[in-house]
Amino acid sequence: MIEKYAEIIGENELDAIFRIAEELKGISVLHINSTPKGGGVAEILSKLVPMMNELGINTQWKVIRGDNSFFNVTKTFHNSLQNGVGELLDDSFKIYEKWQGINLSEIPLDYDVVFIHDPQPAGLIKGKKKGKWVWRCHIDISNPYPPVWNFLRKYVQLYDSMIISSSVFGREDLNVPQFVIPPSIDPLSVKNREISSFTVERILRKFEIDTERPLITQISRFDRAKDPVGVIQSFKGLKKHVDAQLVYLGSPASDDPEGELVYRETIKAAEGVKDVHLLLLPPDSDLEVNAFQRGATVVMQKSVKEGFGLTVSEAMWKRKAVIGGNTGGIPLQIIHGYTGFLVNTPEEATHYLIYLLRNKEIRERIGQVAREHVRNNFLMTRELRDYLMVILLTLQGAMGRT
Amino acid sequence: MASQILDLKAKKSFEFHAAYYPPIYAGRKAYTIEELIDGIRKVDGFSLFYHVFHPVFSSHVVPYDLHNDFAFWLRNELHDDSLAYKVSDVEGAEPKTVEQVRDEILKILESSTNKTRAQKPFHFITCRPVVFDTGKKANSIGEFIDIISNITMRSVVYHFVFRRAMGYSQRNDFSAWLDEEFHVSNLADKLSKIDPQTYVDEETLRQDILLIVNKVIYQ
Repeated sequence: MIEKYAEIIGENELDAIFRIAEELKGISVLHINSTPKGGGVAEILSKLVPMMNELGINTQWKVIRGDNSFFNVTKTFHNSLQNGVGELLDDSFKIYEKWQGINLSEIPLDYDVVFIHDPQPAGLIKGKKKGKWVWRCHIDISNPYPPVWNFLRKYVQLYDSMIISSSVFGREDLNVPQFVIPPSIDPLSVKNREISSFTVERILRKFEIDTERPLITQISRFDRAKDPVGVIQSFKGLKKHVDAQLVYLGSPASDDPEGELVYRETIKAAEGVKDVHLLLLPPDSDLEVNAFQRGATVVMQKSVKEGFGLTVSEAMWKRKAVIGGNTGGIPLQIIHGYTGFLVNTPEEATHYLIYLLRNKEIRERIGQVAREHVRNNFLMTRELRDYLMVILLTLQGAMGRT
Repeated sequence: MASQILDLKAKKSFEFHAAYYPPIYAGRKAYTIEELIDGIRKVDGFSLFYHVFHPVFSSHVVPYDLHNDFAFWLRNELHDDSLAYKVSDVEGAEPKTVEQVRDEILKILESSTNKTRAQKPFHFITCRPVVFDTGKKANSIGEFIDIISNITMRSVVYHFVFRRAMGYSQRNDFSAWLDEEFHVSNLADKLSKIDPQTYVDEETLRQDILLIVNKVIYQ
């Protein structure tokens, strides 16, 4: 399986993975998270765990359990850690601790290295008896709601090391070594692998997109953080100059009352604007996402708040010039003027849309640089190598306490 | 220099290792030059290596016309182009170590009167090397050229930059081996003069090393 990546990353990079893994052969590693499927963490673990086993590292993946009250608590934790504001439910901390205890009694933890993903199972560290423990934080904890962070922090402090996705999320109030490992995309997945131009055309035509005219695409949930109304405003500005089309592709929001509301706001904002396609497709529409990213002339990710925003890397991998919001992990992917353009307002987005649509050569040059930037920094194999190195350094205790 | 030297056998072969440098948040950030100075004073040598020498890798993004992270931030966030260029062009060739580079950058920054506060801070990163054996060995200058021309740049930077800049050796490993085994001090000295701090593209560094070797050997 890993060898399949050779033609993408080159023999030297692949060889490095095998040689670093050589040092770890025979050790046991356990990953624990809170869901077996759905969401970025389960997606990365579903690839990472078999790859680590293939490298001779005995790796297992276990999922904690909990009832509705537990997951309601952890959902409020998640939101309040990312947004800096929160409202704690009654007995939140007690419910959290109760389920850490239940899971501790059910999950064997006798491993050389244990990775705990995100806050939901972070309290399991109380049961550490042997090995090294690493807390992998996939969310932005740079501006957390203090009561929740103070509660979580007392667990985090007990870990041997932790991983954050960007140095921007780093914390000064921890003396645990904080490795910086950005997330990644899988170039061989249905969403990212090469597909023929005929498949792209088939899918675009299925949704009544004119393949002769320029297409702007944003793939995002209907969430205010992704600024769908701002995308419409930017497109309106563009329409005064260029006869283009817009596809905003999201997933149905039936289980998310706010998503439904934002969808309606977006429809309203698009009233009277020609060539706007607001598409709701099932969450597993990976081939369609691939086709819309490849079929786009320019891709937008005009978020006003973002965790990492991997859709940016997905489009960049497909050699697209991306216009992204200047927030969260997007500036790590888009180096303004080199690998894409960063914007703060709909007007700025309009400006760069016009610029890119009028300059094919610049679009192509940026797309090429963008692809190399992703190849160097945001592919799955890089993340695998980073995990191996975190294991090595943590086992060696080589980082010291910061 | 006669090209026959290419096939002379070394008493001790050159074993190529390579390294990655996983980044670790150093636990501090700077919004002003004063805070940047304070941070540069306090971080460890690995942090200086990461911010000043690590940008030689193409994966470590800085603009093509600036050579290190400090310079990038000074221009991008404090809009102090003149200071950014001075910090960008700090000397990193032998025998400079990260400690001397640290002192020189501090001297440049301390001369600034800029009191601007950035909107986005500079985040200090440190790192620890993960070193591995590539399994490749050179027994002659000929083999050395062949290996350098296609080995991972992770190996070239480890031997040519990291060990010397971190003070583990006085001289880059290539010059030391070439001089010791083949007494080609002219070639060794020319390689020592390359300033890796001014490279932001690993392949250009590879080409320049090979061009110097070729030029001296075939002259």
